Amino acid sequence: MSVMADKLAGVWPEITLGLGACVCMALGLAKASSTRKLTSWVAGLFLLLSGVLAIAGPQPTSGLILPPQMVLYVKLAVVAVGVVLLLVAAQLPSSWRATHRAEEGIEPFDPANVMRGEFFAFFLFSLAGVMLTTTANDLVWLFLSLELVSLPTYVMVATSQDRIRAQESAVKYFFLGALAVAVFLYGFTLIYGATGFTDLSRVQSAAATTTSPLLTLGIVLAIVGISFKIAAVPMHFYTADVYQGAATPVTAFLAFVPKTAGFVAIIILLSMLPQWPTHGPIMWLLWIMAALTMTVGNVMGLLQTSVKRTLAYSSIAHSGYLLVGLLAGPALLTSGGGGSGAIGNGIAAVLFYLVAYALSTIGAFAVLGCVQVDGHEADSFDDISGLSTKHPGLAAVMLVCVLSLVGLPPLLGFIGKIYLFGSAMAHRGENPAFVWLVVVAVLNSAVSAVYYLRIIGACYFGKPSGRTEPQHCPSRRIAALVCGIAVVVMGVAGNRLVTLARESSQLAQPSQQTPAKVVSDELPTDIHGG
Amino acid sequence: MILMLPVLAEASFNQFAVVGVLLLIAIVFGVGNLVISKLMGPSREGPIKGLVYESGMNPITPARRRFNVRFYVVAMTFLVFDVEIVFLYPWATTFPSLAQDSPLNVLFLGRMLFFVLTTVIAFLYAWRKGVFRYD
Amino acid sequence: MNDIALAHYLFTGAVLFALGMVGFVTRRNMILMFLCTEMMFQGVVVSLVGFSRLHGNDTGQTFVIFVLTIAAAEAALALGLVVLLYRRKRTLDAGAWAELNG
Repeated sequence: MSVMADKLAGVWPEITLGLGACVCMALGLAKASSTRKLTSWVAGLFLLLSGVLAIAGPQPTSGLILPPQMVLYVKLAVVAVGVVLLLVAAQLPSSWRATHRAEEGIEPFDPANVMRGEFFAFFLFSLAGVMLTTTANDLVWLFLSLELVSLPTYVMVATSQDRIRAQESAVKYFFLGALAVAVFLYGFTLIYGATGFTDLSRVQSAAATTTSPLLTLGIVLAIVGISFKIAAVPMHFYTADVYQGAATPVTAFLAFVPKTAGFVAIIILLSMLPQWPTHGPIMWLLWIMAALTMTVGNVMGLLQTSVKRTLAYSSIAHSGYLLVGLLAGPALLTSGGGGSGAIGNGIAAVLFYLVAYALSTIGAFAVLGCVQVDGHEADSFDDISGLSTKHPGLAAVMLVCVLSLVGLPPLLGFIGKIYLFGSAMAHRGENPAFVWLVVVAVLNSAVSAVYYLRIIGACYFGKPSGRTEPQHCPSRRIAALVCGIAVVVMGVAGNRLVTLARESSQLAQPSQQTPAKVVSDELPTDIHGG
Repeated sequence: MILMLPVLAEASFNQFAVVGVLLLIAIVFGVGNLVISKLMGPSREGPIKGLVYESGMNPITPARRRFNVRFYVVAMTFLVFDVEIVFLYPWATTFPSLAQDSPLNVLFLGRMLFFVLTTVIAFLYAWRKGVFRYD
Repeated sequence: MNDIALAHYLFTGAVLFALGMVGFVTRRNMILMFLCTEMMFQGVVVSLVGFSRLHGNDTGQTFVIFVLTIAAAEAALALGLVVLLYRRKRTLDAGAWAELNG
């Protein structure tokens, strides 16, 4: 039994979330309407409980591929952002006609039509999937956890709105998702074929002794497939449609949850290699993916008339920025003066920026979700036109969050971008191509400012349209406020998250014959000055 | 040689006894289900009840017609529960190779029972959700 | 003999995968598109079994069971989504998606 206990030690938070999902499903089928309305509270309770278990619960002693601090960081980030997402989504099921009518007593309760329980259950399942991705130590496990992230999101998109565009976008999302799964699964197959193991630590040691083109091809295919989850270039087509089609709370969910799982999975896969890919096909794949993703995202973002689509392309662009940090890789001992200090560690930058981006974009989506136009959620630029006169608070949150997405100092997004691009610059000694990538990224950031400023311009200088009405969703306002405050406070004063992210990213790599030894950085250097 | 025969006969009898027990279980299961559904199920008579397909499909129509949505729901449920069986086969082939008195026996059985329990929970959920309601 | 058998397995798997992908890109009917993704899964499965035989361990075959499970879950989901959309749009043509431009 002790073997079993040890195996379970790392996954108690996930088990808690799974249990919570089952409880939510059961509650959603309760006869009394008041019991059914408890579902969102119960989901939040289990989410917090899993966070407590992640910190104070039993810790795994072995069998992790990622360093334990990194696993803990990602789990806590999932819990923290998950709570914000839950606040955004808490009132969503009440907006569905069948659920609403059953709850107000207009129609008798029919279990087949009411989906409140399922929504929160899938919410928790998907979060559990992200947590499981971080603890993955086997290709089968990695595959299953990535699927656990995605499968619930398809249903969440399809049922998020009583409009046909939600279902259309869900079908689009699902089909591209199925294609992506097949592609990265073929990659996993080739990795297994090249090494003979699915156990990731054995794959790691097998890859250290032999280099085979099969393994490289496998990892390339896996990354291409997983680019669906992070909305990066070869598989980004669904993003705008799905972000627009889904209800805004679900869109916010999509902007954080699958992206995080995808980046964690790519980090796990790249750590299979004997050294971080600074040369060769995988490096060039990531380089091209990063450059194309940023450019496509920002150029297409310029052409949109819908705020949700604009933010969707901004999500694509940010995946490109994140890939820059991923490419830079963990901090190196041999990279000269540039590699020291806080800026040298690309993985830390990615982990930090995932949270920074999540808070900024969730804040923006939460504001959109708080405004209603003609009975629908706000979507086009006209819908938020003149927001500041009617709802100065919401407009202020929108301003702060969007400026953070631009990367304006001293907001959270600025620190994140400095980290990402700085880490790539610090690694320029290994490959001069990194410099060009940073140039592309900085140019892209400048271009992106145009469409971000359009959002702000609409909010502050647009003519107020009479059709907007506030939606009754107090918790969504709270979430927007939390995001706005977090973006400012953490940007100005919060080095704690940076420290956490950096401590957590000391990636375990087989370090025998490689120069790619990972160092633990000292205290954060002051990055606000420059 | 002649002395060996009763032993052989006994051995082969023991072998076939297993098959016999299996047959018995199969018969009891089949007959039992028929009897129970006769006792507990509603019984109606009528021209539609007497049609070829008990599911209520009209047997004489053009072949390229659309099916009722409830068939898809049943198909989906079947698909999910059907695949769970796949996990039972590797378990069933491994289980006999464990030693008779190994402590792992209980653990193995427990794990599989837990797995089946999750299926039962899913079944109960589907039931409450009205998947098996057929009217 | 063994090597030839392995090459056959891998070739079959790769061909299934490639055919599925080509079909996915060219077909516009949602049922056919879904069948194509299933075909890609089967290509993966055949390759896994081939590699499992090459390495002489069972992990590849274990992987296959999980792949089949996920494939079934996706099939159930696809069925649900397609029926849902068909009831509202009366067509299975992916080209008829008009609500969302892009």
